[in-house]
Amino acid sequence: MLRAEGLVKTYRGPSAPIPVLNGIDLSVGVGELAVIAGASGSGKSTLLNVLGLLEDAEGGDIWYGDVRVTALSRSAKSQYRGRSVGFVFQSFLLLPSLTALDNVLLAGKYVGAPKPESRRRAQTLLEQFGVLERRAHYPRELSGGEQQRVAFCRAMLNDPPLLLADEPTGNLDDDNATLILQALRARAQAGGAVVVVTHRADAVAGAHAVYILEHGRLRRR
Amino acid sequence: MVVLATLRGYLFTIVGIAVGVAGLVALGAMSERIVRFIEGGDRFVLGQISVAGRGMGMGAGFTAGGLLPSKTLRAVADVPGVEGVQAQVMLPLNPTTSQFMTLTQELVLGMDLSVPSPNRYYRTLPIQRGRFLREGDRRVAVVGASFAASRGLDAGGSLELEGQSYEVVGVLERMLTAPDRFVIVPIADAREQWVAKDAMLRTLLASGAAALTAADLNTGAAVGWRAGEDPDAVALRIRERVAGVNVQLPSEVSGQLRSSTAFFATLTVGIAALGLVIGGLSLANTIAAAVFERIRDFGVKRALGATDLQLGREVLGEALGVTLSGGLGGIALALALGLGIDAWAARTGQQLFFFSPRLLAGSLAFSILLGTSAASYATFRVVRLSPADAIRRGGW
Repeated sequence: MLRAEGLVKTYRGPSAPIPVLNGIDLSVGVGELAVIAGASGSGKSTLLNVLGLLEDAEGGDIWYGDVRVTALSRSAKSQYRGRSVGFVFQSFLLLPSLTALDNVLLAGKYVGAPKPESRRRAQTLLEQFGVLERRAHYPRELSGGEQQRVAFCRAMLNDPPLLLADEPTGNLDDDNATLILQALRARAQAGGAVVVVTHRADAVAGAHAVYILEHGRLRRR
Repeated sequence: MVVLATLRGYLFTIVGIAVGVAGLVALGAMSERIVRFIEGGDRFVLGQISVAGRGMGMGAGFTAGGLLPSKTLRAVADVPGVEGVQAQVMLPLNPTTSQFMTLTQELVLGMDLSVPSPNRYYRTLPIQRGRFLREGDRRVAVVGASFAASRGLDAGGSLELEGQSYEVVGVLERMLTAPDRFVIVPIADAREQWVAKDAMLRTLLASGAAALTAADLNTGAAVGWRAGEDPDAVALRIRERVAGVNVQLPSEVSGQLRSSTAFFATLTVGIAALGLVIGGLSLANTIAAAVFERIRDFGVKRALGATDLQLGREVLGEALGVTLSGGLGGIALALALGLGIDAWAARTGQQLFFFSPRLLAGSLAFSILLGTSAASYATFRVVRLSPADAIRRGGW
């Protein structure tokens, strides 16, 4: 499903360039849950951003299935991202001006999903994650766990084949963390490809592969 | 719901824009007020040839100037190209207070109603309430809008002039120029007032030294020209053929008027420019800041699949809604302030603001144009960032 080869990424530093990704190869198949662990500042989030086309790498290529997505135009990348990738962020990134339901529906807006269908699916997801009764609430009116559940519903709205999660349990209590991790595993079992970035390699039980990112290189544990 | 939520999110932006637009509209309305005053005077003097008796009366002849006897008026009427001569008496309402140097003096205008107004642009003066003067009227007056407001007069009221009571039969529409402060009476009444005001004239008439009849007591005349005639050429012909008159060429008077109001014209341009700069900068800055503040929103939206085009269209749509709301709010604020101040100023017959349709429409169009331009610029800057950068840089 997802294949990356030779990814290189360097950040501009005050005196010299800072290499972050130094030739990363990665493959995550359909139905697989991959965990990428590493210390803070090791480049885990950068790798996830690059894999999700949220930022460009200076070198290397990424394939979604048979499509070399790194070669696509900005517009085509956006469309691919909308249809093929779901993101779950540590800080949830819900839009504060929208209700929980509207935040979820936002994911359908840019891919041209039919509104009634999106609304039905959004309500089903919110119900599944126990936040349907909070659909009219704004993010500031939700707890951290509720916000992450809403963010997860948003990531799942378009039923993307690839799910990328960046420290999805970093701001959650144990109960909510367990719920989100179960959902990620369930997604992989249902045929999705899931990549989870976390600072603790043992945080995600049941992963098909665990990778450690160190000095810009990925090694399988 | 989403639209309302979006506008609610932009509440402070809308208020900021409204304040900027209110400043722009208020300054523009003051400028429009001055322009109307100048244009109104210009239009009036270009519509007729003004003839006065030669003399040294204050106001350079036309206002309580030298006498313009009836035989001189007949001579003027005989000049080729002339069509219609209307005798007039123009007097300062209050001769003890010199108002000749002001642009807003209160004047009594006596009109010979047996002759139609020869002024091409003012065949009739617009009446707001009551009626205009009719031939044969006596002891009646039509008053200008500012004059009426400053004295609480209305049609049906009464007014005392030189010890005589006059019934106010009409109030003119507000014209934003000189007639707003006029009292218009039949010429026979104005002649009586002139004699009552002017001790020298009374002495002259009592001495019998000058063989004058009432019909000779005119301070000036409005002279019209036949269709196809050049008004300046007709005026020059009157000047050549009729002795004892001051004839003012319409173009010359217009030039003099423009020259005497040059300060105000410049002030107008300055006020308008200031309004555009202050209001424009405030609006552009507010809308651009509002877009930059939402940089993380845009990063999230791009992560969810929004293309540059979709995002640009969305931001421009929001900017349009926000500037339209702010623009309309600003116009409402300026109208409320301006009309409130004018209601207070009306007690002394003043009007400081004129909210013309062109000003309101222009201000709104300017707001929208500038708002969408500022939003386009900010959006262009934002969409150049990668979604990850936008999410990193923004903050809620």
